[in-house]
Amino acid sequence: MALPLPPGLTPSEVGFLCEMEQVTIIPRQRLDGLELLGGPTEPLRPPFPVPLPLWLALLLKKQKRADISPPTWLSVEVLTQILDFEMDERTAELFSPSQDLPAPTTTAPLDGDPYLAHDALELSPPFLKDAATSRAQKDALPYHWNELGHLLLTHAADNFVEPDMVRKLLRDLREVRMSKLRKGFKVLDAGAGTQLNNVGGMEIAEVRGFVVGVVDGLRRLNHSREESRKEREDEERENGIGSSSYRDDEDEDML
Amino acid sequence: MAIGPRLRGRPAHTPGPTFLSYTPNGRKLITVGLNNAMRIFETGSDAEPITIDDVQDAHTAIAAANGFFVVGSEDGTVCKYSLETNSLDGLLVRSTLPIRDIALSPDGIWAAVASDELVVKIVNTHDMERVMYLREQPKPAKHVSFDPSGSYIAVSCTDGVVYVYSLSSEEPELIKKVHGLVRALESDAEASSRVVWHPDGRAFAAPTATRDIQVMSKSDWERQRTFSSGHSREITALAWSLNGALLATAGADRNIVLWDTKTQTIIKRFDQNSVRATILDMQWHPTENLLSYTNNDGELYLHTDIVPPEHASLLEMSLQGAPLIHDPLKEISGNAGRMIASGLMRSGDISGKRFGTPDSLDEILGNDGNSESGLDFIEDDDGAGYVEEANGNGKRTSGHLGNGIAPPPKRPNYNNDWRSPIHMHESFQPGSTPWRGSRRYLCLNLTGFVWTVDQTTHHTITVEFYDQDRFRDFHFTDPFLYDKASLNEHGTLFSCPASVQHPCTIYYRPHETWTTRVDWRVELPAEEEATSIALSSSYVVATTSKGYVRVYSLFGVPLQIFRQKSSPAIACAAWRDYVLTIGNGPLKAGRRTCLQYSIENVKRDQTCQDCDTIPLVSNASLVNVFFSDSGDPCIYDTDGVLLVLQHWRTMGQAKWVPLLDTKQMARLQSGRKKELHWPVAVAREKFHCIILKGGETEPYFPRPLLSEFDFHVPVATLAPSTDDEEEAQVGTEVQRLEESFVRKELLLTLMTDLVHSTNATHAQTVELARAEVDVDKTLLQLIAAECREGEERGMKALEIVGLMKDRTGRMLEAASKIATRFQRDVLREKIDALAERRLVGLEEVEET
Repeated sequence: MALPLPPGLTPSEVGFLCEMEQVTIIPRQRLDGLELLGGPTEPLRPPFPVPLPLWLALLLKKQKRADISPPTWLSVEVLTQILDFEMDERTAELFSPSQDLPAPTTTAPLDGDPYLAHDALELSPPFLKDAATSRAQKDALPYHWNELGHLLLTHAADNFVEPDMVRKLLRDLREVRMSKLRKGFKVLDAGAGTQLNNVGGMEIAEVRGFVVGVVDGLRRLNHSREESRKEREDEERENGIGSSSYRDDEDEDML
Repeated sequence: MAIGPRLRGRPAHTPGPTFLSYTPNGRKLITVGLNNAMRIFETGSDAEPITIDDVQDAHTAIAAANGFFVVGSEDGTVCKYSLETNSLDGLLVRSTLPIRDIALSPDGIWAAVASDELVVKIVNTHDMERVMYLREQPKPAKHVSFDPSGSYIAVSCTDGVVYVYSLSSEEPELIKKVHGLVRALESDAEASSRVVWHPDGRAFAAPTATRDIQVMSKSDWERQRTFSSGHSREITALAWSLNGALLATAGADRNIVLWDTKTQTIIKRFDQNSVRATILDMQWHPTENLLSYTNNDGELYLHTDIVPPEHASLLEMSLQGAPLIHDPLKEISGNAGRMIASGLMRSGDISGKRFGTPDSLDEILGNDGNSESGLDFIEDDDGAGYVEEANGNGKRTSGHLGNGIAPPPKRPNYNNDWRSPIHMHESFQPGSTPWRGSRRYLCLNLTGFVWTVDQTTHHTITVEFYDQDRFRDFHFTDPFLYDKASLNEHGTLFSCPASVQHPCTIYYRPHETWTTRVDWRVELPAEEEATSIALSSSYVVATTSKGYVRVYSLFGVPLQIFRQKSSPAIACAAWRDYVLTIGNGPLKAGRRTCLQYSIENVKRDQTCQDCDTIPLVSNASLVNVFFSDSGDPCIYDTDGVLLVLQHWRTMGQAKWVPLLDTKQMARLQSGRKKELHWPVAVAREKFHCIILKGGETEPYFPRPLLSEFDFHVPVATLAPSTDDEEEAQVGTEVQRLEESFVRKELLLTLMTDLVHSTNATHAQTVELARAEVDVDKTLLQLIAAECREGEERGMKALEIVGLMKDRTGRMLEAASKIATRFQRDVLREKIDALAERRLVGLEEVEET
């Protein structure tokens, strides 16, 4: 049975993945730690802030058992700053830098020493540790910025200082960045590429269908030309110097 | 002389709007009106006024200084006239649209000009090329007024907003937009939206849409007292008397009302019979009982003896305070006993400062920035201590009381002029904030918060909790005017000061019971006030103005009462069976009292610490005192340092150890952020506080979020970034580990004390063992860092090995492995030798 969906992730799937991100909540009632597949959660003791996966935080928020404290990059000052960066003419080609990757911790300074071993559980990009908690880097957008901002503004708008302003800035930011992405497609050609550094998860999901279609179309258009070029090359080879033909054949086989 | 000869207006100008201004010395009075003449009246002379003829007519504003006056007219010109030659001195500024108001700064150097243009210009009266512009208002300004120090200017705009600018910087800076205070009026309306600053400079008054006069304080922009229901139509003019004790207002209902500032009551009203036309401008004579006003019919009235004789003494008083609801200078809650306890204090407050000669310049001219008592002349915005600043509780130090508010005594106090005042620490309730507007927090901690709202006749108290599941928020009307509260997970404790109806009362309200609620009240003996209260899980404690410490059980049974050894009391705190009391001790250098604390165990009736000192450096004072969640006393001072008491269960062993210096935190190192930290609690090995930005000194509504910070013992300064990146990296790494070692070692001793002195649970013992291993782990990392540094650090590394607590030998084994890895063979041999000696117990023998 053919899957009716286009290749890649749908926006709701991206949003679902984003719910793995950790956010900081301020509990309003006690709850003992839960044993989850992603690891145990800390026990909730009001008013101590605790990092929790977004899905659980949203659940608690809906039941009025917790308040979500939005990450610092979802504040008006930081978003304005990032928007300025995106709008600046000098950086018109670039997307604002994403959060710094943590230093690699796979090699312990001393092997085999139980006391110096690092945390066994390590999240891998794009799920950086503390991407959206209160300890998050203050001046950069994480991979899941769009989805996370949308989810938090939908379900926990009352925990923002200026939710409408944040919503507006997020929309501006999205439009600016999407227009940059679209600008990149103008140069799409067979063999050409556009750089997707620092682009968020939702943005990739949004443009994936289009880009894949365009590139595929281009490939098909160029198919006949490619074929004829290949045939010409083959002919040249056959008519060419015989000594090298053997090795060329082998190359063909390997392809 | 209300029954005296009928007041006769002096026709000064052709009928029409007329305005006046006194020179600050009160000798001359100048009026302008519709015609092109300006009239200068000499005070106390009935002679025909001097008339200056001018080419412009329809003058709309005037302001006078001692040597000159400035007149604005409808054709947009502002001219300066000399009072010595009584002639035109020059054009000051020209506007394209009619001038609406002119104000002169108290020193006469700047003239603020409001016209129908959007921009308010502030022109230097000596050099008309120096102009400052106030550009923030979106519509034309109607009135401008300088505050008594000349460093602020309030612009009443026709959009109904008051814009307050600070003039202390080069470029005027908008500091506040006050919405909803004044009405939106046309710029040529008769009704007034003028802001008049109270002469003490802490507040201003403005007519509101409801025809009342609202006082607003400058420090927090809160609405204060109102002068209400005086007029039936719009207010057209208002003026404070020069000492601020009286307010005169006039309305479109042709009434003049004199108000007593202190009580906001009407002391005299002149109705339509005595007032012929709407008064547009009025001004008090600077010294005499004389109010002059001009109306919209071209007339000037010099209303001598306007204040009735029974109230005339009000005018002779010295500068009066502005009518604030909770005047921080008058009301020092809970400090009732302070004055009595030290007879010196009262005279000490105002001593050390000479009083001016009678009729000195300051007395005549009032305060300006250069006066001795120029209030808040220096804006201490960087906290460098140019001025006596309020301490962390928002309470000012006692030296401040002399600042223009305290009435100077009738005769100079000769016997203690040489003596500098003694600085005693004021008492405070931990976790409370002072009044701001009509609200304050009585208690803020990790359980929840208690706040009260002043409803003039009573208060309403609200208690809210963080844990919405275990506790239920409650709210009640409070006729007792409780001013202190303490909250924990078992109940809420309140205390109220004595009043006419009741003595000082302590009220305890438990959160939950299994029978009906058993809240109880205890009344203290007459003339005894609670200075601070504390609630633990098993006791209620109160320190009182009589120097007693009173301990009750949670059901109100009085258990102990004893005299505090160091008094007057400052604060108290309680945790389980332990009670910590702080009082003023003997004098130390700088004529400050030395703070002393005592810790008692109520249950076992033991004294843990007795009159030990709280070490505060020079000018710092205590902001908060509380027990951490593991039961260690903590203090936070105005220097931003959090200190914890170590070894406090053993008499004489206690010492205060810094846990965190908030001024050295990395987040503040960039120098861009300016913030204060308001301490809330120490829990889970973290410091919980409220971050205050924008120069605030205490949290306000809505309740700000709590922030938490990790401890950081100030062992070394944060390493500045050097050119040699590699070198700096290693240096900071070692420093970080060293700090971590000192901090963990400190927390370990705190935990050890706790575990050894109580019936420790199994979890606690396990935790203790884990903490011990943790300290050793830090040491291992430190050894690794030292080994990496080089061979020559071997001695230091060996010393660090010696610090290890572990007695099983596993840690030493690990250390030796590290040495092997870095190929420090000599070090490894020495570590092995040490391990061997320890194994056979030699080391212990050597140590003893």
